[in-house]
Amino acid sequence: MSSPSPIPPPNDRRNSRASTNGGLPNEADALSEPSELRVRRKSKCLKVPPEMSALEYASRPDSNLVCLICHAPFDRPVQLLCEHYFCRECLEHAWAPQSNNRKTCPTCRRHVEGENDIRPVPKIIETMLDELVVKCPNSRTGCTWVDHRVNVHDHVMLYCEYTPIECPAADCRLHTTQKDFHKGCLHYTVGCEDCHTSLMKRDLEEHQRYLCLNRTTSCALCEAVLLRLDLKTHINNVCPKHVISCQGTIVGCKFRSERADVTQHEMACAMATMAPHFRDQQARLERHEARMEPLARKVGILEDGLANITNMLYPANANDASFPVADHLDPNDAAADFRLPPASFPHGAHGSDNSSNEPPFDSQVHHLLTLHENLREEVSRISTTLTEVEGRTNMMIINESQRNKDEMLHTNAAINNMRMQLHWLMSATIHQRTTSASTSTSRPSASTSAGTTGRSTTQGPSSRPGPSGTLPAPYRRLSDSNRQDTKL
Amino acid sequence: MFASRRLGKELTKMQGQLPPGITLVEADNLENWLLDIQVLDANPIYAGETYRLKFTFSQNYPIEAPEVVFVKDDTHSIPWHPHIYTNGIICLDLLDRSGWSPVHNVESVCVSLQSMLTSNTRKERPEGDENFVRYNTQRPRDINFVFHDNKV
Ligand SMILES: [Zn+2]
Ligand SMILES: [Zn+2]
Ligand SMILES: [Zn+2]
Ligand SMILES: [Zn+2]
Ligand SMILES: [Zn+2]
Ligand SMILES: [Zn+2]
Ligand SMILES: [Zn+2]
Repeated sequence: MSSPSPIPPPNDRRNSRASTNGGLPNEADALSEPSELRVRRKSKCLKVPPEMSALEYASRPDSNLVCLICHAPFDRPVQLLCEHYFCRECLEHAWAPQSNNRKTCPTCRRHVEGENDIRPVPKIIETMLDELVVKCPNSRTGCTWVDHRVNVHDHVMLYCEYTPIECPAADCRLHTTQKDFHKGCLHYTVGCEDCHTSLMKRDLEEHQRYLCLNRTTSCALCEAVLLRLDLKTHINNVCPKHVISCQGTIVGCKFRSERADVTQHEMACAMATMAPHFRDQQARLERHEARMEPLARKVGILEDGLANITNMLYPANANDASFPVADHLDPNDAAADFRLPPASFPHGAHGSDNSSNEPPFDSQVHHLLTLHENLREEVSRISTTLTEVEGRTNMMIINESQRNKDEMLHTNAAINNMRMQLHWLMSATIHQRTTSASTSTSRPSASTSAGTTGRSTTQGPSSRPGPSGTLPAPYRRLSDSNRQDTKL
Repeated sequence: MFASRRLGKELTKMQGQLPPGITLVEADNLENWLLDIQVLDANPIYAGETYRLKFTFSQNYPIEAPEVVFVKDDTHSIPWHPHIYTNGIICLDLLDRSGWSPVHNVESVCVSLQSMLTSNTRKERPEGDENFVRYNTQRPRDINFVFHDNKV
């Protein structure tokens, strides 16, 4: 934010347009200069950013948005833990004489521990502050800009014609304004040709306009005495001797005379009294016409959309030209899709609108009504079909899930079976190990485990293979079967 | 810069409206202001009297407290109070370095002084007034008052 960016912010478009207009001749001047001068100019184009605390507000700001230290609306506010708000800078000022551990809230004296106790304010506060309406800091030198505070920085740095900048002349140390920049150095003394006071060139215009006592002239037509600068506006708007036409000229009045006479005439002229109304009407008409254009475009877009939808619904009949309804709405193909294809729904054949011998509808409304009726029937048909399909699907799902459930039961049984078998295998392995350790007692314990297996074999057919025959094998696969066990 | 801007804002506000019994007498510069205060309720000690206050602001106002004293001249006297010395110096924690806060302002100081007078019932001077008035050479803000008495 500290340096002026060349891209105008989007929320200040109005000003950016004004500035590009004003800035163009300036730019062209600079380019035609020798390059060394141009460089010199550029480096001098420094502007001072506006000081927030010095801003003048258009209306008295809400007292809730005013900082108690600087008595101005908050600038980059922060809140303390006690929810007291201050400008960041004001707090720093207030705490400057205090040592770090003695910081307190200026309002309630609550202790402030450190940076963590200083928090940002709610977004809404910032927005309210941004939207405060301020005057341009250069309003005293002539700028009439009034806008949201958030824009003031850009206005002063980029757009304001009255922002003081250093004089473009190399040997001049004085300030000029953006507006006068391209005029070169205006800091030389000139004499006012009317009152012979000497003053700076820069102030001459203001002097001539407001201060110079001799700077008056008289109107050539009415001999009124007035400022020379105002002569043109006087003749165009005020001068009683200036020849103008009656206001009613737009309605047809031919009267044309000096302003004083015309004013007399206009009191009686019916056309002059009508003129303002007429002008109003005309303006309104223009407004309406302007508004109609986008509406027409919108209707076109909607029609296209509708055509697309119809095409999508009845793709086979989109190009069917047999439908007798001559379209009154629109001759192009967008409207052709209003046709209802008779073949697409078998029950819809009862309507008279579907018979190919029927003459064209006598009115557009009738046509639309029939279309509407047809569509309604179609929709109700679709909805019944939908319900039917839904019922069927539901049945299908129920059947399917029943089957799944059965299958799951089977699978569970099988798993149980396998678990039993595994258990038997495990105990057999353990037994095998003990028998290999002490050879004498192996047989009886094996028979006990065989007894348990006998029970398990009744549950499933998969446990048929005799365990005793595979007894020596599990030796190598011990770790494997262990893993299997933990998995189950 | 900070001080002048803030004083400018206070001045604009005070020229618009002030609480009853407080009048802005003179604020020609941003260093010294004169204000008059009156005690509005029927306290017999101050009935019918108007007292003049002189505010002196430093460059660091409002971070630093203003110096506030009662002024004695032909039409104004120093109000009787156990915390106000005969020379106009006021012993009030609000005006002391540790008691001051930048959220205070000229108006709030005047209101505080007004209520300090209103609640007072003793027509007397502080202890050691005579000695203090004779020997004190310090400026009011450099004096280390002992705020022994909080109820007045
Ligand atoms: Zn502030
Ligand atoms: Zn607080
Ligand atoms: Zn401006
Ligand atoms: Zn110059
Ligand atoms: Zn002149
Ligand atoms: Zn004239
Ligand atoms: Zn006419």
